[in-house]
Amino acid sequence: MPINCKSQCGNRAALKRPKTGDALCKECFFAAFEAEIHHTISSSNLFRRGEKVAVAASGGKDSTVLAHVLKLLNERHDYGLELVLLSIDEGITGYRDDSLETVKQNRDDYQMPLKIISYEELYGWTMDRIVAQIGRSNNCTFCGVFRRQALDRGAKLLGVDSIATGHNADDIAETVLMNVLRGDTARLRRCTDIRTGGGEDSIPRVKPLKYSYEKEIVMYAHYKKLVYFSTECVFAPNAYRGHARAFLKDLEKVRPAVIMDIIYSGEQLRFKDTVKKPVRGICTRCSFVSSQQPCKACVLLEGLNRGLPKLGIGKKSKGDRMIAKQDQELALRERANLVKNDF
Amino acid sequence: MCSIGEDDFGDEGGAHAMVAESLPAGIVLSTGDCTKCGTSSSELYKLNFRTPECRACFLTYVRHKFRAALGAAKVLPRDAEVLLVLDGSAESLVLLDMLHFAQTQNTFKRLHCNARVVYVEDQALQERDPVDVESLQALSRQYEPFEFHVIELGAPPSSLRNIKDYSPTSAEEINRLGVKLEKLRSLTARQDYLQQERKNLIASVAQQLHCSHVFESSISVDLATQLLTAIALGRGGSAALDVALLDDRLAGGDVKLLRPLKDLNEQEVQFYVHAQRLKPLLKGRLRYGQERGETASLQNLTSAFVTNLQQNYASTVSTVFRTGDKITSNTHPEQASCFHCQSALDSQLSDTLLAIEYSRSVSEAGVSLHKNGEDLEELARKRLESQNDLCHACHRIQMELDSVVAAADDHRWAEHYKRALPYGNRR
Repeated sequence: MPINCKSQCGNRAALKRPKTGDALCKECFFAAFEAEIHHTISSSNLFRRGEKVAVAASGGKDSTVLAHVLKLLNERHDYGLELVLLSIDEGITGYRDDSLETVKQNRDDYQMPLKIISYEELYGWTMDRIVAQIGRSNNCTFCGVFRRQALDRGAKLLGVDSIATGHNADDIAETVLMNVLRGDTARLRRCTDIRTGGGEDSIPRVKPLKYSYEKEIVMYAHYKKLVYFSTECVFAPNAYRGHARAFLKDLEKVRPAVIMDIIYSGEQLRFKDTVKKPVRGICTRCSFVSSQQPCKACVLLEGLNRGLPKLGIGKKSKGDRMIAKQDQELALRERANLVKNDF
Repeated sequence: MCSIGEDDFGDEGGAHAMVAESLPAGIVLSTGDCTKCGTSSSELYKLNFRTPECRACFLTYVRHKFRAALGAAKVLPRDAEVLLVLDGSAESLVLLDMLHFAQTQNTFKRLHCNARVVYVEDQALQERDPVDVESLQALSRQYEPFEFHVIELGAPPSSLRNIKDYSPTSAEEINRLGVKLEKLRSLTARQDYLQQERKNLIASVAQQLHCSHVFESSISVDLATQLLTAIALGRGGSAALDVALLDDRLAGGDVKLLRPLKDLNEQEVQFYVHAQRLKPLLKGRLRYGQERGETASLQNLTSAFVTNLQQNYASTVSTVFRTGDKITSNTHPEQASCFHCQSALDSQLSDTLLAIEYSRSVSEAGVSLHKNGEDLEELARKRLESQNDLCHACHRIQMELDSVVAAADDHRWAEHYKRALPYGNRR
């Protein structure tokens, strides 16, 4: 027996929504999916008229759907936004070069200007060369830290008012779980926020897809025949996050609504007064937002340039010792050079 | 959850666990000197991250954890009336033994409280053999002067019996709870519901026996699992109370639930059972529905996940458990509490819950939603506000009770997705 669309439009249902368990036909699904994102944007006041918004585009399904829906809603509901695409080229051969082609396709399809910023030009290093230095472990640390800052740098360059990222409900729920597993209260506090950053010194990030399920995003892209890139990064995926992800997928199989429940739980968590809060400041070296001094990106970069790639990984005291040791050796060599010159 | 002794203990309880082959890993049967007191001992206890010590030093160390948990937080007033919940597991026996010991010390070190014990019998729901009344009576003789009582889960609190007058019955009320559980479609909801019911029963037993405090025997791994489970169930606001030393939600705050074993780990429990020759009444600690496998419910899945992760990352349990230490419940003064679980309700409308309700409304409206877009948010808001005496998680249970949702459809959808979507390319 075929199932009919819940909205009683008379059509046959094409899918069952994981969030609510309702069966919908294709057209009703599109309408519902778009209406929800509009609701998220308008109820949380994510944008203001006349703003310039950068869509962080990787070419993957989330950012492709985000760009598509934002353009659509901007026209339908007259947000009055100027949308631009912002991509980061990490310099990963066989992965990012291909996905950037997809972003270029999006640029042409949606008639949005595109800005690509590369690690090469910002830091003088590509991920390929970084991996050659550090190996397959911890490389995601570099990529993640650099990308976060690269987005900020790109946004500053473009002069935008906010950055929209494609984080979906699954990503946020997964992050809540991971931060509980790691005991990271600082991130646990802010990972469910729909808007982070902002204020005088930084550009806010917003997550319009916060309440959209990954499954629905895939279905939306599939039924709308959007062009997206769906290959996994060639470098080993982050192992620990993988556990949280696998766990979440298992939970979702048992009860699809669990993803929203975890986000809700994450928002309801409160912390004891004795737990330290991170203070957002400005890195003295690069003057970008950071809660540490100097910021992680600067430490990692210094490690790479000094030939000590493990510098920013693990304890700070270990890194300090590494630097001291290297400085000592350098001083010794210099003195040896001096002696030679005397002759 | 806890798998202590699951394989080790046969029908005769922990008796055969005392033969040399099934000694818990870490206890060495060889003569050596205790690194703590220096005396020579034929049995050395080697806990992780500790040097080998003799039985006496080990017992002092573990018992101190119990006393320190109660003492440091000053949660137990002098001469409090305490109800100890016994479920037959190794953990609950350890708690009983420690409390008994703390009461028999000299006046200076004595723990000043009056304790009673209640055994919560849940065999009728779990479909296993009733507890051996004889061994329960033997326990009550061993731990005099504690009074032992028995209550059956699902029975009214008035059917509480002293161990001397107790004989297993099959009361109608228990069936009634069983029938109610059957109505809930998912095992997740059943386990969640049962956990709250159990707490409510314990609270009313405590009130009946005029006890202001209840001792529960959860150890660190139980609490780590509980924290993750609470988060998965949408109980984030009250998760802190589920894992804290003190939970004051019972009976409107009149009964305080304490977890004095919260700092113990599985190994310490195993060693203690061995050192004191305790005989758990049950094999392991089986929860309702646990035999249905890992993927049967969120609770079972979480428990299996924590156990597996612990094997690869040894600090998993302690990290999660310590995260639980850092959070506090989301409460405001004059806040209403949930009708079922007594957790504080949200003080303001949650955007996430509104998003869920909005999803429901737009799904019903479908393509016609463009005509009445604004009303839908109003509708969602009204629906959300109408569920105001239950918390979100308890409301989910309620929803399963109310409507037998088209459960039969589920397998048809599975078929549909197999045909329709190329699911291989998900990230």
